[in-house]
Amino acid sequence: MSDLLEQLVHGLTLGSLYAMVATGLALMFGVVRLINFAHGEFYMLGGYAFWYAYAELGLPYPVAGLAAVAAMALFGLAYERGVIRTILARTWHVQLIATLATSITLTNLAIIVFGTQPKEVPTRLSAAILDVGGVRMAWQRLLVLVAAVAIFAGLEWFVAHAKLGKAMRAMSQNREACAVVGVDVQQVALATFGISAGLAAAAAALVSPLFNIFPDVGALLTLKAFAAVIVGGFGYVRGAIAAAFLIGIAESLAAGYVSYAYKDAIAFVVMVAVLLVRPQGLFGRRIGI
Amino acid sequence: MRAARWVLASALLVAVPWIVAAALPGQQRYILHVLIFTALYGALALSYDLVVGHVGSLSLAHPAFFGLGAYAAALLATEAGWPFVVALPAGVAAAAVVALAVGVPMFRLTEHSFAMGTLGFAIVTQIVATNWVDFTHGPLCVTGIPKPQVAGLRIATLPAFYWLGLATLALVAVLYRGLTTFRLGRAFHAVRDNETLAAAASIDPLKYRMLAFVIGGAVAGGVGALYVSYVGVLCPGELTVSLSVNLLVMIFLGGVGSLRGVVVGAAAFTALPEVLRMAPTWRMVIYGLLLLLIVIRAPDGLEGLLRRGGALGRRRPSSSGA
Repeated sequence: MSDLLEQLVHGLTLGSLYAMVATGLALMFGVVRLINFAHGEFYMLGGYAFWYAYAELGLPYPVAGLAAVAAMALFGLAYERGVIRTILARTWHVQLIATLATSITLTNLAIIVFGTQPKEVPTRLSAAILDVGGVRMAWQRLLVLVAAVAIFAGLEWFVAHAKLGKAMRAMSQNREACAVVGVDVQQVALATFGISAGLAAAAAALVSPLFNIFPDVGALLTLKAFAAVIVGGFGYVRGAIAAAFLIGIAESLAAGYVSYAYKDAIAFVVMVAVLLVRPQGLFGRRIGI
Repeated sequence: MRAARWVLASALLVAVPWIVAAALPGQQRYILHVLIFTALYGALALSYDLVVGHVGSLSLAHPAFFGLGAYAAALLATEAGWPFVVALPAGVAAAAVVALAVGVPMFRLTEHSFAMGTLGFAIVTQIVATNWVDFTHGPLCVTGIPKPQVAGLRIATLPAFYWLGLATLALVAVLYRGLTTFRLGRAFHAVRDNETLAAAASIDPLKYRMLAFVIGGAVAGGVGALYVSYVGVLCPGELTVSLSVNLLVMIFLGGVGSLRGVVVGAAAFTALPEVLRMAPTWRMVIYGLLLLLIVIRAPDGLEGLLRRGGALGRRRPSSSGA
């Protein structure tokens, strides 16, 4: 029994990670109708930024985490200006190949700069064990879950009440109408990339103490986050978050009870199974943040 | 006149091993090796372009089909002792059957989702190849794959492999031309350019997409089988996403949807590493940047330059397009 609960806790950690990455993907898709294949690499770079600030510069954990988020938000802005803006008017083929090319470039640059040896960044919270009625877990897992819930609540408030958030929602519904009523669509797109990249870095700062950081973590992560976006109903952020937790828990149970080696295939199998039964996604709503 | 040029060009290509031997005796082995890779990559890129360039489905599953054909042929040859002439068609059939089975759910997805779904399939295939150690030998690789034997001739020397590769490329090129011109080709392009309109003209998009996907997959499986019989070793690392990126670089560098463009792209791509003598990671960085630059700045690739140049190209209506 406690074994099952431990697997569930692991599943919630994975789910939080996938949900934070998937949220960024869904936001970008909602606002500019583009799938960023390089999103997993944002997480990877966020992880290295965190490692540099925490392990190399010796900053305290919260400061290092925020520094990584800030650095990646800037990176997201630069990516929008440098790559995305030049391809927004092009066909989805061009967009997809351009972001895929960015992904392969960033992964291999990371191998050159940081090496293939994973970076370990244990924190005090990842070493301390919390024991609840025989269920043992690192305190860090609790932090991941609490922080993820806080981030999602903040995001929910942001898109409902903040001016920028409302503009993002409006753009996901009708880009032309936004431009007509004077929403600066380019600024909103720019901000969306900053926020999405920041979210990926926040995920990296939260889970890296548990999972380590390595250069080719991105491809599988993008795939799983994208599976969550599809399963949740394209561009529907709440659906993507729910689906991400579903995938995380399924993967963790599969790793514990079926086969550790094949756990990475789970997200894919879940995605194909859902699409065969419900092509519109689990929650059956299309587009809209 | 045209026929004469064709005969001359073909004779030159067939005579390459003797020409190389006479002109550059010291580097003969090395040059032939590069040329064999060029031919195999060219055939693989053509099979990929059938799907990407002609029905407009951005599949990333090609490394999986290449790998399936390669593993089927390699394991049948080493474990079951099947001769090459049987193992090769088995590799083709394995890839085709899996393409058919995978295509049915995948083509329920559109655009990005299709790309991501096929990428997922490719990654799962690699995971299986790495972890199913009892069957695929996993990271220990399949070794000692025998050299092919065709009609009583054992193909073991570099010139023999060169001719086999050249014949494969020619065969795939004829198949590619046959599938992408005539009525079938026009149906492919109708599906690619305007799916709704095609469906209204009773051209079933799913049928033609599946056809291109399965044939492309089958050819990739065949090239995979040939590749392992040349290299002699097969590791799960051959099936990575990098192969999709390499193929995308080839077809976009050359010119999507054009026979000459894709072959030129594959040749330029295979020659590239010889120019860029550096570590594979640096090479992938350069491929990534090159691909980014091409799709943004020159989506027609080298074929676009050749056409604009005009001197080299026969006049014909443009059939390219994303």
